[in-house]
Amino acid sequence: MSATLFKATVNEYLEDLPPQVQSRLYASPATCLAIYRLLPKLAKFFIMSMVFNESDISLRDLDRWVKSEGKFQFNEAIKSMKSLHLLIEGKTGQPFMINLNPIFRSSFRNALTGGEVNNSFGNVIDSESDIVSMAMLDQYAADKWETILHFMVGTPLTKTPSRNVLNLLTHSKLMENSSSGELQITNEGFQFLLQDVNAQIWTLLLQYLRMAETLQMDPVDVLNFIFMLGALELGKAYSDVGLSETQKVMLQDMRDYGLVFQKASNAKKFYPTRLATMLTSDTMNIRTASGAMNSVLKQGNSVKEDASAALAAEEEAAQVGGTTQNIPDGALILETNFKLYSYSNSPLQIAILSLFVHLKSRFTNMVTGQITRESIRRALYNGITADQIIAYLETHAHPQMRRLAEINLEKKLELDQNCKDGLQILPPTVVDQIKLWQLELDRIISYDGYLFSDFEDFHEYHLLSTYASDIGVLLWKDEKKRRFFVSQEGNAQVIDYAKRKLKKK
Amino acid sequence: MPRARKGALVQCDPSIKALIVQIDANRNDIILEELDDTHLLIDPTKVDFIKTELNRLLSQNIYDPLDEEDNP
Repeated sequence: MSATLFKATVNEYLEDLPPQVQSRLYASPATCLAIYRLLPKLAKFFIMSMVFNESDISLRDLDRWVKSEGKFQFNEAIKSMKSLHLLIEGKTGQPFMINLNPIFRSSFRNALTGGEVNNSFGNVIDSESDIVSMAMLDQYAADKWETILHFMVGTPLTKTPSRNVLNLLTHSKLMENSSSGELQITNEGFQFLLQDVNAQIWTLLLQYLRMAETLQMDPVDVLNFIFMLGALELGKAYSDVGLSETQKVMLQDMRDYGLVFQKASNAKKFYPTRLATMLTSDTMNIRTASGAMNSVLKQGNSVKEDASAALAAEEEAAQVGGTTQNIPDGALILETNFKLYSYSNSPLQIAILSLFVHLKSRFTNMVTGQITRESIRRALYNGITADQIIAYLETHAHPQMRRLAEINLEKKLELDQNCKDGLQILPPTVVDQIKLWQLELDRIISYDGYLFSDFEDFHEYHLLSTYASDIGVLLWKDEKKRRFFVSQEGNAQVIDYAKRKLKKK
Repeated sequence: MPRARKGALVQCDPSIKALIVQIDANRNDIILEELDDTHLLIDPTKVDFIKTELNRLLSQNIYDPLDEEDNP
């Protein structure tokens, strides 16, 4: 799952911080709680056993809790706690005696028992006039996030996100300035689009952290704020009292990403959106970007169109898509003749497809298109690789295609027990062709360097060519004609060697 | 005394080599030396030109299913 993968990188970021910075982080109860949530399950268990116990614990005692099958998880848990400096050597200094980081222990206790939390969980404002509906927050968040994604895909007529979003996108190399001066999606940007929302937000926030460091912002402030956002409650208003100057600046940025909402009239209050509250939670019941956009679209439609037209469209959709219920949005069918049908209404899914498919027509619940040499080449020129395209098509394949592939594989296995073919969800012809199109792009391989020729005898040639191949700079040689080619970097070395050796004679 | 000559080594199929030779035939300023069936020494500043030229020549031989549909 990509989400766990990205959580791991948040952990990695935390582990890379110097111990002093980590201890300052642990002063905030909300941050401790968030870090606790990101730890492996076994580590959570160990921390719970130690948090209310002041005295040292023997590592062997912890080990006894774990069955022999679980040694790997045990080592992982201990390693992750040690690298975060949550586990430290015992006070007595004896080997194998450990204790919990005292700063972390006291903050985490406060977080659990509700002691002095120093506003690290935000200041709730309780007043009738401040209530904002959850639907409105969801729509706001989806709208902001959608704007960023749409801009990346390059949908025409979309709003351009604010300047600091653009800065972040270029800084994180998700987009880069093309030769014409416009921002263009990169290889990483395409991979980014294929992840789920939670992973996407974390990617951006981690980049934000890296950028914050170069802007002389204190990483502790930034992290505390991010983790605090994760602990806030949806639909409540929070006051910015108690936030540091850095955090107030961040509040503006987070608003641009759609993580928090502020009323234009009152910048002193902010409302976390669902994008923020799901940051450190394990529950994956959040809607995907395309899902969120669908609901936004539906709302928009029902307002614009009159009721009868909407009803008719719905009926039609029910008839056409009678069998397509419970099918993930964007499920696609790819035929051996390179024609592609995608059951999607979301403009974002369609925009992503249009990066490498020549789209032809759009219907109420699907789009049709064709994979052509030109469409694939356009994508390849933009830095998207053939493997990425194939992976995207495979993960979005319609369940029907998967079933067909399974049936085919069963038949094959019946005929030949030793058949080692894997499951082929996509037509192999199309997969191979996409790969061939990529190969076709670089029909020639060129190296800069120098051609050595005009040797007096074979000995001279042999001496230099063996030296060049020994130091690994020989790219081509022809023994009969006594010529060889060395790379640009190796040339100086070969010439030096030649001067030394040939002068001696 | 041996001689070192600056250039770009190009590695390709014999068919592509033939195409490069053909491109060079009219201009004579690209290929510095023909090394063997799959290797050529060319002017390093002309590598990008060769690539675009090859793409143009190869695209002429590609069947595009969309052309047929657009002009039946």
